[in-house]
Amino acid sequence: MRLLLALTVIATPALADEPAVPRFAAETEAAGLAHSFTGDWEFMVGGGVAAFDCSGDGLPDLAFTGGTSYSTLWRNDSAKGGALRFTRVQSGIEGAGAAGIWPLDFDDDGITDLAILRVGENLLMRGLGDCRFERANEALGFDGGDGWSTAFAATWEPGQSLPTLAIGNYIDRTQDAFPWGSCTDNWLHRPAGAGYAPRLPLTPSFCALSLLFTDWNASGRPALRVSNDREYYKGGQEQLWHLEPGKPPRLYTEAEGWQRLRIWGMGIASRDLDADGYPEFFLTSMADNKLQKLQPPGEGPVLPRYADIAFSLGAHAQRPYTGGDVRPSTAWHVQFEDVNNDTRADLFIAKGNVSAMPDFAMDDPNNLLLQRADGSFAEAGDKAGVASMQPARGGAVVDLNGDGWLDIVAVNRNVPSEIWRNLGTDAPGNWIAIAPEQPAPNRHAVNGWVELRTEAGLQRREITLGGCHASGQMVPHHFGLGAADRAEVRVIWPDGHAGDWQTLDAGRIWTLPKQGVAAAATP
Amino acid sequence: MRHFLAILCLVIAGAGWPVQAQDRGADGAEVLTTWHRLVLELVRHTPTYSPPVASRAFGYVGVTAWELVAGLSGGRSLSGQLNGLDMPPPAAQLDIDPVLAMHGAMAASVQYFFGNTGPTGQRAMQAMTDKTAARLAAELPPEVAARSLAHGAAVAAHIIEWSQGDGGALVENMGFPMEYLPKSGPEFWVPTSTIVQQQAPLLPAWGKNRPFAMPMGNACPLPPPPAYSEEAGSAFRTEAQEVYDTSRSLTDEQKLIARFWSDDPMLSPTPPGHWVSILLDEMERADWPVDRRARALARLGKAGADAFIGCWHTKFEYDLVRPVTYIRRVIDPGWQPILITPPFPEYPSGHSTQSGAAAGILTALFGENHSFDDATHEADGLPVRHFTSFAAAAEEAAISRLYGGIHFRAAIDRGLAQGACIATHANRLETLE
Repeated sequence: MRLLLALTVIATPALADEPAVPRFAAETEAAGLAHSFTGDWEFMVGGGVAAFDCSGDGLPDLAFTGGTSYSTLWRNDSAKGGALRFTRVQSGIEGAGAAGIWPLDFDDDGITDLAILRVGENLLMRGLGDCRFERANEALGFDGGDGWSTAFAATWEPGQSLPTLAIGNYIDRTQDAFPWGSCTDNWLHRPAGAGYAPRLPLTPSFCALSLLFTDWNASGRPALRVSNDREYYKGGQEQLWHLEPGKPPRLYTEAEGWQRLRIWGMGIASRDLDADGYPEFFLTSMADNKLQKLQPPGEGPVLPRYADIAFSLGAHAQRPYTGGDVRPSTAWHVQFEDVNNDTRADLFIAKGNVSAMPDFAMDDPNNLLLQRADGSFAEAGDKAGVASMQPARGGAVVDLNGDGWLDIVAVNRNVPSEIWRNLGTDAPGNWIAIAPEQPAPNRHAVNGWVELRTEAGLQRREITLGGCHASGQMVPHHFGLGAADRAEVRVIWPDGHAGDWQTLDAGRIWTLPKQGVAAAATP
Repeated sequence: MRHFLAILCLVIAGAGWPVQAQDRGADGAEVLTTWHRLVLELVRHTPTYSPPVASRAFGYVGVTAWELVAGLSGGRSLSGQLNGLDMPPPAAQLDIDPVLAMHGAMAASVQYFFGNTGPTGQRAMQAMTDKTAARLAAELPPEVAARSLAHGAAVAAHIIEWSQGDGGALVENMGFPMEYLPKSGPEFWVPTSTIVQQQAPLLPAWGKNRPFAMPMGNACPLPPPPAYSEEAGSAFRTEAQEVYDTSRSLTDEQKLIARFWSDDPMLSPTPPGHWVSILLDEMERADWPVDRRARALARLGKAGADAFIGCWHTKFEYDLVRPVTYIRRVIDPGWQPILITPPFPEYPSGHSTQSGAAAGILTALFGENHSFDDATHEADGLPVRHFTSFAAAAEEAAISRLYGGIHFRAAIDRGLAQGACIATHANRLETLE
């Protein structure tokens, strides 16, 4: 007789080789950060933060959406390696109605711009430097529409100077009394000349809450992954769109290997966890989350067939692991990053009840799942000090004070956002951060790959712009190195060209140009 | 969209409706139908509402409607006929508007039985409650409107109180036990998914609940399934081979049938809701008056709820292994059925029992060879299917589980028979004086 316990512990693999747990300090108030994403039904989703350097000091500043409150921008005044410190500045993004925010450099001028998705008109905001922004919709011929926009992704198609933008839209907000089945079209904004062509509807659309352009099959041609909220669609499922230059987007079909999956899709994160050349995808949902691994391709084309390995690796994050509430969780922002610098990507998941959903946990702590050497994950949110019970939505895992330990931001709904400073571990935890740079267009090599080798093995991450939940980061790409004091690094550029391996010292941010040698850019 | 439009019309239409109660019978039918359309959506969007839990709600909401009608029109109450329902409903007072009373009863009943739906469902229920009440009460004296709503709510409260002792009122962890001790042996059910909750079976004690019309959960027992065996040529292996072989040669029509009757929880109104949807459409097509609709919804609701109690009683009596487990163990380790295997024992098939019961009820209401179109999943992109009888639809629903790879033949055939037996108990109840 076997006793099956419907507890997360049943799926926890061997406990040997437990990863080092980083210590986080809650520094929201001490840092002077005071921002809340607020709102009722129309802001039950969304609540984002963009992390990027607009002040030019090398540290990421933070721009938050506010829902019914104003969006705010906070300049990062933290001392390197010291306590976090933020100062609110007027930036030009202030205004209500914003749900999601992503940094990107759409004009390739080296100054980060912003895409702000709203309940109402979406905005492209051109960066002017010194954390100032101006509206660019008209200048770019960008039609911001009037939807309930919730998801964003961008990529550069061959031959285009501007990025192709995908925008995910949610419910028809005029159908507030009976919204089921009223999902509105997602949009594809493709460049035309110096601006944008009229947007294309991505029909059918099923209430997208996260989008990601990804080179999922290592073909060099990114496709658009869409995660949809089954609460509101009818006849829907998760989606993958072909995006071929000059052709209308079209869905992958079952005949092409696409497998029907219906979840409360809320966020997408990707990372090539096993360095097999193909990214794994983490999809947040309610109750069990999904960690998808591409099935080993056989002869012929790579098919989009995935196995869900979340359960076997202990990454399902199905219910609270602390606090006593045993109801299933609700997961939103998700991000793979190595928070303990042990060379293995870990997983941060922002959790929080939608809004008085009695079947789901109200005390729903964020997850910090640390990857073990065998590829499984160990929950450490409570031990690390980031197990907030506040109702989180968006987030960011970035190095806010330049010390090489990744800090965490969580955007909470109707209560203040939170930040935690990573104080590190007692284990060896060297690091390196890589900022690829190529001539325009696509200066930051979106949908290229960064590869890194140490004695611990190969690490790979695709450079993506989108995904998560309502949030994005545009910062150098961080890798933990463990005890290694240097690493071999190369970039596979979006055009497929693989750069030379370069040996770089740990503890620095490196700019890697497509032509030439790397340059240290540590602040 | 079809359902939505019906609800929208009810909500925004209004000015100029007749105010005399005796002229408003059609309004009562519309109120009753529209609330049930909303219930179909709430079932889909309330995570706790697995098929057994949904069937219970349909049962109590239906009985509420009938008790309201019976009290106002002189029909025979089900008090004394249904298990444990011994209290007469509140007596009707003078000057009650029956349409508004129906609205009051439905609003109170639905808000109670779907109290744990999410924020969107709560908004929808409140909008329906407020806008419909405002419209229906617009030309009534305020005291009549208030009295009518209160009378409906009192009838609902009466049924709610009765419901609380049936064993199914409290569903925790979406119906999955926090601990479960499975039986040891290859013939017994084991988890078939990698979803955490589903490492224990859904609602193992549901068969012990108090039924509505049948005397007890095992009132329609089944013989044991074929004896477990892995021997070639054994009855059990032969049934498994049939599932396997069928899955490898499915026609497009068989795939469509499997998906049409899949009726997955949280993605559809579930199997009992599917049959309620059929009934709502047929009553609309026949333009039945409110009393006839309430009687039919109560009868189908009771039978559907009893079907899940009876079926679950049998499921956990035999605790049989699912095809996906057996076939991967014995025939083909890489086998993949086209439907997701539900997280509970195999024998009998819940949809077969449910459909057998529903066909028994609807055949009694509409006749043996009543042809109809089933548009339940039109909004989900599945085509309308035509059936020549309710029995034919039930048979297709049952065999769909074999096409889907989630049930053996015995569970299907005997499930239909069990459902037919359960329907006789509900059909036996008296609703006419």
